[in-house]
Amino acid sequence: MSTLRTEEMTLNMGPQHPSTHGVLRFVVRADGEVMREAIPDVGYLHRSIEKIAEKVGYRGFMPYTDRVDYVCAMFTNQGWGMVCEKLAGIEVPKRGEYCRVIAAEFNRIASHLLSVGAMAMDIGAMTPFAHVIREREMINDLIEELCGARLTFNYMRIGGVAWDLPPGWREKALAYLDHFNPILEEYNALISWNKIYVERLANVGVITPAEAINYNLVGPNLRASGIKWDIRKDIPYSVYPDFEFEVPVGNGQWGKLGDSMDRYVVRIREMAESSKILRQALEKIPPGAVLAKVVRNFKPPAGECQIRVESGRGDMGWYLVSDGTGYPWRVHVRTGSFAAMGIIQKLSAGLMIADLVTLIASLDVIAPEIDR
Amino acid sequence: MQTLIQNLIASGAFGKNPPRDLVAAIVVFVMSAVVFLAVALPFGGIVTWVERRVWARIQSRVGPNRVGPQGFLQWLADGIKIICKEDIVPDEADSRLFKMAPYLVMLAFILPWAVMPFSSSLILADMNVGILYMTAVTALTVVGVLMAGWASNNKWSLIGGVRSAAQIVSYEIPAGLSIFPVVLMTGTLSMQGIIRGQGWAPQHWFLFASPFTFVAANILYMSSLAEANRTPFDLPEAESELVAGFATEYSGWRYACFSMAEWGNLFIVGAIITTLFLGGWQFPHVTNNVVAMNVLQVITFNVKVLFLVFLSMWIRATLPRVRIDQLMTACWKYFVPIAFVNMIGTAVWVAIWPDGNAAMGYIMFAGAIVIGALFIQRVIYYLRRSRMEVYFNPTI
Amino acid sequence: MIAVSEYVHNIKDTVSTIFEGMAVTASHFMRKPYTVQYPDRMPVRVQDTLPFRYRGILDVDLEICTGCLACERACPIDCIVIVADKDQQTRQLLLSQFDIDIAKCMYCGLCSEPCPTGAIHHTTEFEGADYSLESLIRRFVQNPVIAYKAKKGPETDPRIAPILNRGMAYLDQWAQPGGEKPVGEEPA
Repeated sequence: MSTLRTEEMTLNMGPQHPSTHGVLRFVVRADGEVMREAIPDVGYLHRSIEKIAEKVGYRGFMPYTDRVDYVCAMFTNQGWGMVCEKLAGIEVPKRGEYCRVIAAEFNRIASHLLSVGAMAMDIGAMTPFAHVIREREMINDLIEELCGARLTFNYMRIGGVAWDLPPGWREKALAYLDHFNPILEEYNALISWNKIYVERLANVGVITPAEAINYNLVGPNLRASGIKWDIRKDIPYSVYPDFEFEVPVGNGQWGKLGDSMDRYVVRIREMAESSKILRQALEKIPPGAVLAKVVRNFKPPAGECQIRVESGRGDMGWYLVSDGTGYPWRVHVRTGSFAAMGIIQKLSAGLMIADLVTLIASLDVIAPEIDR
Repeated sequence: MQTLIQNLIASGAFGKNPPRDLVAAIVVFVMSAVVFLAVALPFGGIVTWVERRVWARIQSRVGPNRVGPQGFLQWLADGIKIICKEDIVPDEADSRLFKMAPYLVMLAFILPWAVMPFSSSLILADMNVGILYMTAVTALTVVGVLMAGWASNNKWSLIGGVRSAAQIVSYEIPAGLSIFPVVLMTGTLSMQGIIRGQGWAPQHWFLFASPFTFVAANILYMSSLAEANRTPFDLPEAESELVAGFATEYSGWRYACFSMAEWGNLFIVGAIITTLFLGGWQFPHVTNNVVAMNVLQVITFNVKVLFLVFLSMWIRATLPRVRIDQLMTACWKYFVPIAFVNMIGTAVWVAIWPDGNAAMGYIMFAGAIVIGALFIQRVIYYLRRSRMEVYFNPTI
Repeated sequence: MIAVSEYVHNIKDTVSTIFEGMAVTASHFMRKPYTVQYPDRMPVRVQDTLPFRYRGILDVDLEICTGCLACERACPIDCIVIVADKDQQTRQLLLSQFDIDIAKCMYCGLCSEPCPTGAIHHTTEFEGADYSLESLIRRFVQNPVIAYKAKKGPETDPRIAPILNRGMAYLDQWAQPGGEKPVGEEPA
């Protein structure tokens, strides 16, 4: 045996796979168990949503924004509403803003719950995912009473929200929050601090702060690398300045700063912070109108406008170019998952195949948001 | 078993002067077929139903409860369905190896039933190397798994097969080393001999005989889980990564063979631990009626084994899976050194107390009760905090 | 090589966290499953437990439809087709076609919002699966009907009044632009 032939394998983690979050494809060049490179291939979910906006008009586009990121539908609704309002100079009444924040923070809790549950399922524990789905069902029941739908909400309109809080809803929401906080601690005891889980996540996919900024990461991915950047605090919008809450930042406690465990724990802590915001909002919500008067044929002045919303996946940017008619000239959405796909190829060198799954899960990539 | 047969022949059940060896051989043959067809195969099926119901309650769900009373016939329906599926052999696959692999894995599942000690006289073959035979024969799965992984002509299956082979072979060592303390304490490798060396009361079990055997029991249990490809060591069939690992390309009855072998192995794992550490079929002598005593012993054995099967399912529902390099680290850096320390410690223990140390049995048993009480206290804490509705009824 | 203290610490961490995890799952054994065993083991029909605002399959009350075509214009995917012509002899608006393709509908609610009487509304029905694609186009007009004309005062026709009341109650759930509604204490 003079020379032992070793070759690298080219594997295809194809669009149909139980663990990629949505329809993603990776071409993996691996030397046995250790990867050399994982090249992502996106575009399987492209539905031309941005082009559809040019056909359906401003009001009609609101349900389509739900489908851009169906797990964070309230944030996409809010983004579209805000960009149209900013261009046309419409002011949303105070109670409308409070309703928006309440709906958005409930959606943030639901989105993060799904993310941590899916992460646990990819690592192998089936139970946390089932518990997470149960908690999401309770949130979905609350939102169903509020706006009539469980996933694609279409709750917000240009100028406010479409439905006010129904009678008795505040008490139900507060009761849910009282139920949620002990469940979050129980969830932590079950899986988050489990030694096997920590060992799987620590030191995997370390993203240094400089890399995170260079690759344009946002949201919990960015905050896990130690950079304290949250649109709700740094470029405040809506009524977020009225609330007291903290922005959790990763601190490298279980491994290096910016590893997958940091990203996971930042999401868990953000859920606790969201429940704080919700309690304050449900206490302080003022009476009044929830929807501003907007003409039936909404025609914003010609020009362009850009806003940013802190969605579950990070800083979601909305860009609108209007030509003065009732149909937008161009709409563009910048989502956090798109940037996260870019860094996977760089991080995958030297990881094991099992770690690729962990990495994708910890970056909380949702496929429809990448392709729109 | 042989004494039972001799008694039956002597009592004239087979006629005046039967050819003894032939009659004994036929009786053993028929009993093996009965054990396999009526106990092992249905167990492999029924345990899937139990696992799904147990998992579901842990996950706040219900599990299958429509097909038959409480969903009891679900496994039969699934079995019939999987037999009726199309048998696909991939085009470029090595078809001889591809078809042979499930049979090898089934063989590794069938053979240990020959030494399964159900009661003091119901054991198909009371070999005096019983436990060694069992360890050797369960290692046949490696060959089958490697064949399945290679012959599927699929890179993901190959990765799964190679991982599984590495895992099973590595975890043979702590498992074998953890059998030694028990063998040292009884001086025999035969299953019935080991069981007779224990008593029916927990303080006389080998589990509590010394701290070394307690640790050895845990190491043996975890290594057996690793050999059976169960979570937290179920990398070869990690659903989220490799769809079904080495068995991805299999469909229909061949896949059912792999499945049944995997779930049936739970019983074998439980049986090994029960025999070595939990006192096997030992039951207090309450009656002189031999048949009644045997029935009670069979029930005791099954209760203990089924508790361990339940524990395996519970662990599978709770823990995530470890990565391949962490699995190897755990085996070689943690399990093997600790197993060696156990072996040496037990050798010293047996040298000091050749007849065993009864006091240590009581002390360890008391310690175990304390740990159990602590566990129940945590359970009640979580029940109270979540304020969700309590419902003890397993039927729903 | 790792230090002895770290080795022992690893083992202790593993055992203690697995102990906690098993205690959590053991506590779940004793809890009532959250599953609702739809559709046969439920005390009431699911459709009756859903909230009033639930956006299920669309339904049209032709008795109060004014033929204004606001819903057809508002639909973003053009799943509503209405033909409403002024009849030359009687000078009345006649509805001869009102089709909704519920396979295309995305249940967004944008059609029920601008309706003046609440004729088109979402119901709590969600079981729409059927064997033929044809049946997914709901045709609400069998024979041409005269469109509804809103009266100045309250509706007097006893056949139409309850339908109109229900339609207006449905519309009251939606936020009024610029309107000041009291904080949720009123009955739904």
